[in-house]
Amino acid sequence: MITQVYFWFFSLVALACGLGVLACRHPIHGALSLIGAMVSLAGIYSLIGAPFLATIQILVYAGAIMMLLVFVIMVLNSAKDDKTPWFDALGVFSLFPALAVGGVLVRALVGANMRQPFLVAGSDGKAPGPARGTVDAISRTLFPDKFGPWSFLFLVVGLLLLSAIVGAVLLAKRHLDSPAQDTSTPTGGH
Amino acid sequence: MGDLQPIQLQVLAALLFLLGLATVLSRRNLFFVLMGVELMLNAANLSFVSWSRTFSGSTALEGQVGPLFAIAVAAAEACVGLAMLLSVFRSSESLDTDAFDKMKE
Repeated sequence: MITQVYFWFFSLVALACGLGVLACRHPIHGALSLIGAMVSLAGIYSLIGAPFLATIQILVYAGAIMMLLVFVIMVLNSAKDDKTPWFDALGVFSLFPALAVGGVLVRALVGANMRQPFLVAGSDGKAPGPARGTVDAISRTLFPDKFGPWSFLFLVVGLLLLSAIVGAVLLAKRHLDSPAQDTSTPTGGH
Repeated sequence: MGDLQPIQLQVLAALLFLLGLATVLSRRNLFFVLMGVELMLNAANLSFVSWSRTFSGSTALEGQVGPLFAIAVAAAEACVGLAMLLSVFRSSESLDTDAFDKMKE
């Protein structure tokens, strides 16, 4: 029963924050709403037995990624305030594809086998307790004794993050070898 | 109405996904487009974790390892996306998505 109370609280907060992302006028308000949605999703994760994922959600998503986003919003707003329009008339028509995707999702959910209840502790012999997504269990899945598929994916994600960092530096620098670099702030090396 | 049912979490994930999709499609500001993508990724992660709660055995844990990689990819995506946004803002001094139509010419 208390699970339902927590679930409704977190889901209502998440939906309100999602509506805030859709409807906020200023980007910083949208970013703060998105942080609220992520934190309440972390609450739902820890509610349904994924405490490690909830921690990662707060640390990486709400902490690192959204910090980067808020930082860039503040930098650009100090440079030039946004004169970008909020919605336009064509934006109304782009809501129809969203409704179409919603119809597809409802069809998929109706067709899915929802009869299978959530596993609770002791319902069958091998079902673990409610906190099944602990650090121990997830790290044993990621790094089994021999080299598994998730370990390979882990290495690939490392390469992906490295190339993303290099690509971001190349994209965000001012022009690499143009004379405009002389007027910009001095960047060491290049 | 005692315990949590899977359909509740799936409906919540679907609603969050639709809010993100509507944000991506209808907003003009590039920041909101990026934030809508992040919201859609979060909704997909919630669906993953909810299904991992339904299945038993090692499938359950793999359903929680998938969102870990999704979060890592989202970090890379936000990094590159914000860098592209910065360079695009420098070239056209605007964040309006309709201002970036140079490929039309």
